[in-house]
Amino acid sequence: MATNPMHQFNVYKIGPEIKINGIDLSFTNASLFMLISAISISIFLLLGTKDKKIIPGKFQLLSEILYNFISKMISDTAGKKAKPYFPFIFSLFIFVLFCNMVGMLPYSFTVTSHIIVTLAFAMFIFIGVTILGFVIHGFKYLKIFVPSGVPVVLLPIIMIIEIISYLSRPVSLSVRLFANMMAGHTMLKVFGGFVISLGLVAGWLPLTFSVALTGLEILVAFLQAYVFAILTCIYLNDALNLHH
Amino acid sequence: MIKIISLTTSLLLTLNIVFAAEAGMPQLDPTYWASQVFWLTIIFSAIYFLIAKIFVPKIKGNIDARESQIRKDIDEANTLKEEADKKLQKYNSLIDEAKLEARKILSESRKKINEDIQTKKEQIEKDIQKETLGATKEIEKFKINSLNKVNIISEEIVSEIIQDIFKEDLNKSSIKATVSEVMKERKNQI
Repeated sequence: MATNPMHQFNVYKIGPEIKINGIDLSFTNASLFMLISAISISIFLLLGTKDKKIIPGKFQLLSEILYNFISKMISDTAGKKAKPYFPFIFSLFIFVLFCNMVGMLPYSFTVTSHIIVTLAFAMFIFIGVTILGFVIHGFKYLKIFVPSGVPVVLLPIIMIIEIISYLSRPVSLSVRLFANMMAGHTMLKVFGGFVISLGLVAGWLPLTFSVALTGLEILVAFLQAYVFAILTCIYLNDALNLHH
Repeated sequence: MIKIISLTTSLLLTLNIVFAAEAGMPQLDPTYWASQVFWLTIIFSAIYFLIAKIFVPKIKGNIDARESQIRKDIDEANTLKEEADKKLQKYNSLIDEAKLEARKILSESRKKINEDIQTKKEQIEKDIQKETLGATKEIEKFKINSLNKVNIISEEIVSEIIQDIFKEDLNKSSIKATVSEVMKERKNQI
């Protein structure tokens, strides 16, 4: 079923079946591409930190730009207190970015187009941030649901809204990334399929779209990684500096 | 027009075929959820530790090293600049001093020369005066002398003339008196 645009999201196991307590933990193509992304990141950063030059080379410059970019993003959104979480945000951003970018290669698998992967990230961040908030502020952290300057009459309704919005954070965070990646790749595949089915007569039109969409998808891949990271920073900011 | 119609129909057809074939999303199939989360945890933890323990400190070290190098260079440049400024100031003051000294020497030597000229002038004037005085005195002397001589010569001439004409000697003292009288008259006339 090569023409099925959803076929590219199929997960199948590679190698032997691994089962622990009846749970299937086999190595799959998703795991393979996570590994490929991780190895690409390692190679990229290894090249970037190989030389210690005052005037940096290409890879050193790229890694330093990335460092400064994330550093600025964190200090802008979460302030100085978020410095200990820099490596996590850095890893998160670069991992999501590389998974998205590796997914742009033809015949590859996009790890982040699976809701379970993004949900795992989002739940980890959500639970981590919530625990962090309670550890730093104690029960005062519940103030996050009570915005300042709200009339007492409206307070119950506002609180309900705030609680719902807080609880929907992991959902919105994970669905945003997953849906973007899935929609983009499906669309690319659909247009790619049109090129074949329309042939030489009108195939050039979807081909043009395909090319344009590839550019767009690369932009989206970067943008979604950025959005994922910056939202994490904002959630972190809520936990570190209780603003409400 | 025909192209567009054929395009839309084929588009619809393909869409039909595509979505009729498999409607479900593989993402919602829970068979490998556990596996994905498991491998994600392992791989992401690995990459996190690599980044946190190796790469981030290295990049930070590189950036810090560059910044400190730049700061050092700027400091060095500043100190060099200050030194150069000091040197320039010193040089300027030296030049000013030299100029002042030159002016002093110039004015001093001018004064000296002027004084010298003045004294020499005065000396010369004195000398001239002296000379003039001497010359005047001498002239005066000559004048008197010549007058006396003229007197004597006149007396002699007169006595000789008288002798030639009258063939007799006249009293010398009377001739002298007459001549001096005439001379006096003449002098007064002159």
